[in-house]
This record gives sequence, C-alpha cells and structure tokens, in this order.
Amino acid sequence: MSGPSGDKLIYVDMNDQSVDIRDFPEQWKLLGGRGLSAKILLAECDPSCDPLGPDNVLVMAGGVLGGTAAPTSGRISIGGKSPLTGGIKEASSGGQPGQHLMKLGYRGIVVKGQPADAEKRYALEVTGDGVKVVAADDHKGKWNYALCEDLHGQYPATASFITCGPAGEARLTGASVATTDQDNRYPARHAGRGGLGAVMGSKGLKYVAVDPGKASVRQASDREAFGALCKSYTKGYLAGGQMFKTGTASIVPVANMLHTFPYKNRVEGQSPDAANLDGARIVESFESRGGMMHNCMTGCIVKCSNVVNDAKGEYKTSALEFETLTLLGATCAVASWEDVADMDRLCDEMGLDTIETGAAIAVLMDAGQMEWGDADAMRKLIAEIPEGTDRGNAVGNGAVATGKFTGHHRVPEAKGQAIPAWDPRPLKATGVSYCTSPMGADHTAGLIVNPGLAPDQFAWESQKVQIINTVCDSSGFCQFLQPNLDDIRAFYGALYGEEVSREAIHDQGWQVLEDEWEFNRQAGFTPADDKLADCMGQDAVGAEGAKVVFDVPAETIQAVFKRMPAQEELFTGRASG
Amino acid sequence: MPKVVIPPPYRGSTEGNTQVEVDGVNVAQCLEAVDQRYPGFFPLVVDDDGSVQRFVKLFVNGEQLDAGEELHTAISAEDEVEILAAIAGG
Ligand code: SF4
Repeated sequence: MSGPSGDKLIYVDMNDQSVDIRDFPEQWKLLGGRGLSAKILLAECDPSCDPLGPDNVLVMAGGVLGGTAAPTSGRISIGGKSPLTGGIKEASSGGQPGQHLMKLGYRGIVVKGQPADAEKRYALEVTGDGVKVVAADDHKGKWNYALCEDLHGQYPATASFITCGPAGEARLTGASVATTDQDNRYPARHAGRGGLGAVMGSKGLKYVAVDPGKASVRQASDREAFGALCKSYTKGYLAGGQMFKTGTASIVPVANMLHTFPYKNRVEGQSPDAANLDGARIVESFESRGGMMHNCMTGCIVKCSNVVNDAKGEYKTSALEFETLTLLGATCAVASWEDVADMDRLCDEMGLDTIETGAAIAVLMDAGQMEWGDADAMRKLIAEIPEGTDRGNAVGNGAVATGKFTGHHRVPEAKGQAIPAWDPRPLKATGVSYCTSPMGADHTAGLIVNPGLAPDQFAWESQKVQIINTVCDSSGFCQFLQPNLDDIRAFYGALYGEEVSREAIHDQGWQVLEDEWEFNRQAGFTPADDKLADCMGQDAVGAEGAKVVFDVPAETIQAVFKRMPAQEELFTGRASG
Repeated sequence: MPKVVIPPPYRGSTEGNTQVEVDGVNVAQCLEAVDQRYPGFFPLVVDDDGSVQRFVKLFVNGEQLDAGEELHTAISAEDEVEILAAIAGG
C-alpha cells in the first residue's frame, strides 16, 4: 500500500503546555475520526477518570479521507470521556479544521493533562511551520462569535478554528466544541453532544487555530483512479434525489406526521406549531431577507446548511437544523422558527449543545418553573448560563441535571444524555440504538426511521446501522452524503492502492464499537444501563387508537452486543444520522 | 401490475410492507390505490394542494420524475414507482 504517508499525531500536554509530534502508526492508516479516537482513548485514557480532571484525554481527529478530493469528506471527530454520560464519546462536526489538519498531514490532536492554574487560558497553533501552545488569557470568557472575529484579525485568512465557548470554560456538561465554517468563518458548526466542550474547557484550551497556508490536497496512491472515483461518485450523487438540498429543517412536516416531532417534553409526538417550525419557512425567507443554502466545509456537494438572516437582512445563524427546531422549538412549545433561530445563535455563542439545552429547558417547563413557549424567558436563561446562576448551571449541565434541580420525574434520556428529536416510541429500532450505542441517546450513532419494522429485526437493524455510521464517522464523510460501506471501501482502496474487502470493513466497524463498549465497561457501565428513562415506557405517543410506548425487551437490546453475520444490506445500506 | 416501493419511513402506514402491487395507469392512481389498502398513506406523499410533498422525490424504474409532472406520469403494468423521503437529524 502507498498513498498518503508521513502522517503525524500531535500530542499536547497541558500540564506544562508542551507539544510532541509523533509518527502516525502505519498500521492505523485506515483509522480516522471516531475509530481513531476510540483506539487512542481505550489505550491512553483511564476509563474511570474524572472526565473534567487531568487524566481525561481530548482527541480531535480528521477522517481517513479528510483533506483529499473525495466529496464531503472533511469532517472532524472530537472524542473523550464524556462528563455527561460518564462513558466514551465522539461528536462529529463539519467546518474547515478537519480538512486543514489533514492537509497538513496531522491525523489528530491528543490533548492530555491540565494547567495548574485553572484561570489560565491557552491556544494551540498548528501551521505548516510547526505546532505550539500560546497564552490566550486575552480571550478568556469570550463568546464564540466575538472570539472568532478577533481571531480573524490575529491569524491569516487561510486559518480555521476549533473553539471553546464560555459554557465549556465553565465546565458545564452540556457544552459543545465549535468549529468555523468555510465561507464566513463563523463558529456555527458544533460537535454538540456529550459535553466535550467542558473537557476542552477543563484543559484550559480556549481555541485551536489551524492554518494550512498553501498546503495542497492529499494525494492518493493512484491519482487517476481516485480522481475518477471522486468524479463518478459526485455525478451520481448530483443526479439523484439530493434529499437535503433545502436542509434537514425541511423534514419537520414528515417527522410530525410520523409522531416524532415531540411536543412539551415529549408528552406528545406532534406539535401544533409544526407549520411555523418547518424549514420551508426558512427557505422562503431567503427571498426577502437574503440567506441561502451553503456547504459548511469545502468540497461538500450536499450543501445542507442554511444561512439564516434576520428581518433586517443581517446574518443571524447557521445552520438551523431539524434537531434544534425540535428540541429548542417543539419540545419547549415554542411556536416560531425565528425564536428558535435566536436561541440557536445564543447556544452557538455560549458553546452549548442545542439538543441537550432544549431538552433541559423542556424539563424546567414541565416542572412548572418556566411557562411553555416563553421564548423571551428562554433567551434570557441561555444568556445567563455562563454566569453560574443555579438555574443556569442546571440547564447548562443538561436534562438530567435539570431534572435533579427541579425534582421533576420526566427526564427523557439514556445514559445521562437527552434523547434527540427522533423518538424511540414510534421508532423502536432507533430506541434500541439509544440503549446500546456507546454514545448514549445519540441519533447519529444509529438512526432507523422505519416505524413498520418487525420486532425481530430491531437488533440486526440497530447493529447494522451502528456499524455503518461508525465507519462513516471514521472516514471523514458527512452522514448526510449517505455513503454506504461499499462506497467507503472503494475510496479507501483507491486512496491506498489496495482493495479493502467487505470483511475488512465490517471488522473495522465492529472493532470500533467493541473498543467503545470496552471503554464503557471499564468505566463501570453494566447491562442494567442499556435502557431508556422510565417515561419512555410510560408516556404513549402516536395516532389516536395507535399510541405506542418504548417496550422492547431486554433480550432484544442485549442481542445487539453479539456480532451477527453480515447481510448484503450491511454493505449497501446507507449511513443515517 | 405496477409496483409501488414504500420507503422505510412510511412502512408504518403499510404494516411493514416494502412494496405494494396496485392497479393504476398513472402515478397518482397508483398512490391512491395504496391509500385504499392502507388509509393515511396518500397524504404522506401528496399534500393538501395536490402537490408532491417537498420532502419526497418520486422515481419510475429508477428515473427521477420531473417536478410538477410526477403525478401525471403514465405507468404500465411492468413499472415500479419508487418513493424517496428525506430523513436526517442534524
Ligand atoms: S452535508 Fe451539510 S453538515 Fe454535512 S458537510 Fe455538507 S453542509 Fe456540512
């Protein structure tokens, strides 16, 4: 095998702010993103450590195809022990830093330790000339947009940034890690789930600047074959349905019809405000306000990301996604997409996961501590989160913390993480993924939108999609491109000039899951943790006369942990998150 | 008989069936025929104004149908009508 060679890993020790550049092991060449993060964490992070202490390890890794000409392949995975779930976590983000790191030949950044002085802030600078940690005290406490505006003045126009907002600095466990997008270089893309922003904050790392300068695209071993594959794949994609051309927000009506657009802390599966929260309203607003669909990273052919302007035609936020419209919108009984756009911007400013924050506020409202649908009160609350008020701390620490703060019983979660929009009651196989994924309740780990699936298929479907998504999140491809395993192994084969068999790609996906489950076992998880919150088995949703709860038996759930023989659809089924 | 291939998100409405054989000479009739067997199916594909839902794309024998013309497209006995529905999180 040839292909890209000489790759490196950046090790950063925040105890003394030293940097060590190590060779990337040859035998890991098909490990990237989520898979690379899992490998490093299982080997180098004590699973029983305090996730906000010095022994946690924060990984930032591009995918195997990152930095190449493969379409939509430059995602970055952020990994670590999650302070929210207590288990392993990987959260993927678009934007430019993944592409830039890979173009420079850095397969990942591994951050260990913690500065002795928790008040200090640092930055990591990565360029073609080297890597160093510098002081960043001047940027302490800055909201993400103001921070990036300042960084644009401080670094060349070619640089991109990975940033920690005030919520991460406050070590709140609902905190996200932001990455800057490709055109405006706004911190609008987030590795949202699992509180990894708090891990970044706990390491005193305010931002990472990656400047590729004039670094060129990574070349494949067989340039001609790789180039031809990129061309034919792109052509095939553009000739197809292009289902996300108007953004994920445009699926609100179908989710509502399927009773998976949860309302008022999930006591109902449909929102009466679905028409006002529909992404179609956002697309309609482009005509009078400007705004557009764009690609959050270079080379993306899906372009699912909306740029949302306010009534004056000024930039408000990007991207306003289906999950955000559901959790900060419908579950809190907020009736307008414009209010959700405000809150999306605020969450991006603070560095907060919109799913966890929306779910936490819905718990607060359900507990009677805020009026349903009170968007003004929500805006105020999100802005106060980094100030450390009791209520702000509770919401910033997520749905479970808010349940404890209010004493409220209904907290829809799995392994401590709030359930995303896709509801495990009508979509029971997705519920099986939430129970068994090493990531807790995370739709990107294994979404199965098939309400008609027979119960004897739940375990296989969940295992299958978890393997596909794991490989996708290791490749650098965005899940919205919906590649299948045959596509991914074709790209890997052309990149390194050697065929990757179906068996090998199956093994790889399964091994990543095994590594992650093993990390969780060592962190103290047992089969008793492979479940959803009780309310999902009690509060029914669905059409009158056909209401459903999550009632999948434990033996079906446990079957996911045993490797099943591959079926054809493992290789032809598409990533789905 | 023409076949209508049901996308996974809509299989709840067809009791898990992945495809349905129907009588119909155009796409609209085929979809209505599915709805007759499985009431509630048609609105998943066609909105109240009689247009194909924004989040749905229709194909016949693998060829995507032109926007606005989909429902009138003629269908013969051997044809396969496929429905794609956008589904993702984000
Ligand atoms: S498909 Fe959407 S989220 Fe994915 S990289 Fe492209 S614009 Fe970003």
